[in-house]
Amino acid sequence: MSKSFGFDTLGLHAGFTPDDRHGSRAVPIHQTTSYMFHDTEHAAALYNLEVGGHLYTRISNPTIGVLENRMAALDEGVAAVAVATGMSAVFLSVLALCSQGDHIVASSQMYGGNINLLEHTMSRFGVTTSFVDPTDHDAIAAAIQPNTKMVFGEVIGNPGLDVMDISAVAEIAHAAGVPLVIDATLNTPYLMKPLKHGANIVIHSLTKWIGGHGVAMGGIIVDGGNFDWGQNDRFPTLTQPHFAFQEVNLWEEFGPAAFSMRVRSEGMYNIGPTLSPMNAFHILQGLETLGMRMERHMANTNALLEFLKNHDGVAWVNHPSLADHPCHDIAMRQMPKGAGSIITMGIKGGRKASQAFIEKVELASHLANVGDARTLVIHPGSTTHSHISADAMKAAGLTDDLIRISVGLEDINDIKADFDRAIKIAQKIDQQKHATKGA
Amino acid sequence: MQVLINNVNTFVSTGGRKADKDAPCLLFIHGSGQTHLTWLLQARFFANRGWSVLAPDLPGHGLSKGEALSSIEDMADWCHDLIIVAGHHKVTVIGHSQGGLVALELARRHPNVVAGIGLIALATAIPVNPQLITMAEDTEPAAFDAMVTWGHGRDGAFHDHPMPGNSHLHMGTRIMASNPKGVLATDLKACAAYTEGETAAASITQPAMIILARDDRMTPWKQGQGLAKAIAHANLVTIENAGHMLPVERGDDVNKALRHLFEQTGA
Repeated sequence: MSKSFGFDTLGLHAGFTPDDRHGSRAVPIHQTTSYMFHDTEHAAALYNLEVGGHLYTRISNPTIGVLENRMAALDEGVAAVAVATGMSAVFLSVLALCSQGDHIVASSQMYGGNINLLEHTMSRFGVTTSFVDPTDHDAIAAAIQPNTKMVFGEVIGNPGLDVMDISAVAEIAHAAGVPLVIDATLNTPYLMKPLKHGANIVIHSLTKWIGGHGVAMGGIIVDGGNFDWGQNDRFPTLTQPHFAFQEVNLWEEFGPAAFSMRVRSEGMYNIGPTLSPMNAFHILQGLETLGMRMERHMANTNALLEFLKNHDGVAWVNHPSLADHPCHDIAMRQMPKGAGSIITMGIKGGRKASQAFIEKVELASHLANVGDARTLVIHPGSTTHSHISADAMKAAGLTDDLIRISVGLEDINDIKADFDRAIKIAQKIDQQKHATKGA
Repeated sequence: MQVLINNVNTFVSTGGRKADKDAPCLLFIHGSGQTHLTWLLQARFFANRGWSVLAPDLPGHGLSKGEALSSIEDMADWCHDLIIVAGHHKVTVIGHSQGGLVALELARRHPNVVAGIGLIALATAIPVNPQLITMAEDTEPAAFDAMVTWGHGRDGAFHDHPMPGNSHLHMGTRIMASNPKGVLATDLKACAAYTEGETAAASITQPAMIILARDDRMTPWKQGQGLAKAIAHANLVTIENAGHMLPVERGDDVNKALRHLFEQTGA
């Protein structure tokens, strides 16, 4: 057997061995809450994390376990923990490292949910965050304090589409003895594996491209196993005796997997945002074709970009692959296969025209998601990012007229035709508005 | 726990339990380029069941300071020092791969401290391919990659770990990368240079258990048969569908076999 199975092979096979008794080739759905113990010793061993296996689905489950192993394989991490949503993955990652009085340095250009969690929820529990421009490396270095427990950002900012230079930021964080935690939802391991660039923890919303079909929510935390938690005394949750499990020191007893063991042994035990086995199964169906779907997502994105760049009704279009994007060089270096299938644009005529476009598309779907097989459109300023402050909105790169497009897998000519038609209608409405004003 | 051995800070996993000098002691010795984490599925399992577990990081490995030792004989003497420092008079020693050679040599040089011996994924010699040693010296990451690839069976290659969510291959690589540069090459050269395996095996009079993997490509199962013959009274257990990294690939089966040994030694 080779270690170097290709991406698509791992996507289809990693983490699963058909059992001898039934031989099911597809991953079975273990729709059960609990598992029979062999005897009392076996039960104790499972509770103490001494042996492999499952004791209660809140903690782990065979179907979910396949998804976890498969994602660890694809992202090249030592371990993974799957959870109910991407947001719960972010929360459990923060919980694993931060306590009252601790501090986070985070990108100001992130998904609104991430910003809200850190700015409004974690602050209530005494964990504060300094938000900084992810492309301003001096600002990142300056924001790190003695109580900082992580630098947190997204590879591709949502919806500003700025690109973090992972190697450079990892170097800054590591020099200060702090790990780099990355939300890699918009790139997926197909386009980029942040752990290979120096990141230490990777988070995905599985709901997006990885599931890909818009049928199941999920999130995952992939532990890179590449951070020395024992280098200083910043991380007592990993290097001091655990409150459970006979006061085991996770760093000493689990080494590279200490972080993921903390997530499972505290986050899943005490909080319990469990992914349902059925959703794990649905997400696995998506994961099996992630490579092929991402190729099509990128082909359609590139073709649509070309179309929008040359369209008279489009005021501006933004994507890291465009030569005039400020992060173009970093994006191409980090993601040579493509910088994601999110495009942002504005229609000539400003916010009203952009809103009219969204209401007039017929093939594309107007909804709050990205990474679906179908093409999606939304106006983040009035939806996904409407709950963040005006300053945070500006810092996130949100303009009043910004339309976020998640490019789907439809025939590209049909997407273009739908957009062309909606842009033209939006332009007419704008022109009528001006004509009415003139009258 | 941290102990001083020859004035060097040394990390010894006790399986998450405080060391108990009065309890029967199990000494687990890891293999080339590895750390105590080889015993992820053994150390806490046995520590929580009444044994006093010592699973050290050999000098220069993992969380231990110092320079890696350059011969199996030196490693065996170092283990003897550890047993004394830990306050034990007798141990059942369990070694994986290179750690098995160290266990054999410990029993040969210091038979009075060895109550029994468990040898996992081992033959009487480990003739390391010179190309692998060169790779470890010149392009260490490539050597890690080659060893974790060859070191695991089917489940390893497909990232199917007994602990939910864990990856054999990436965990293996990270453990090896956690050691200072050059440690793997030093270990491999020590293995290649060791020629006393037959003699040491023949000297074993204590209860012995040999645990081999049918699909082991590092120390092939057929070569392990020679070790079983060299220790006349040894018990031999073969585990199917597993590779060289038996302790993590098949923790339950390994623990079952080791328990059989511990019953014999009274440990």
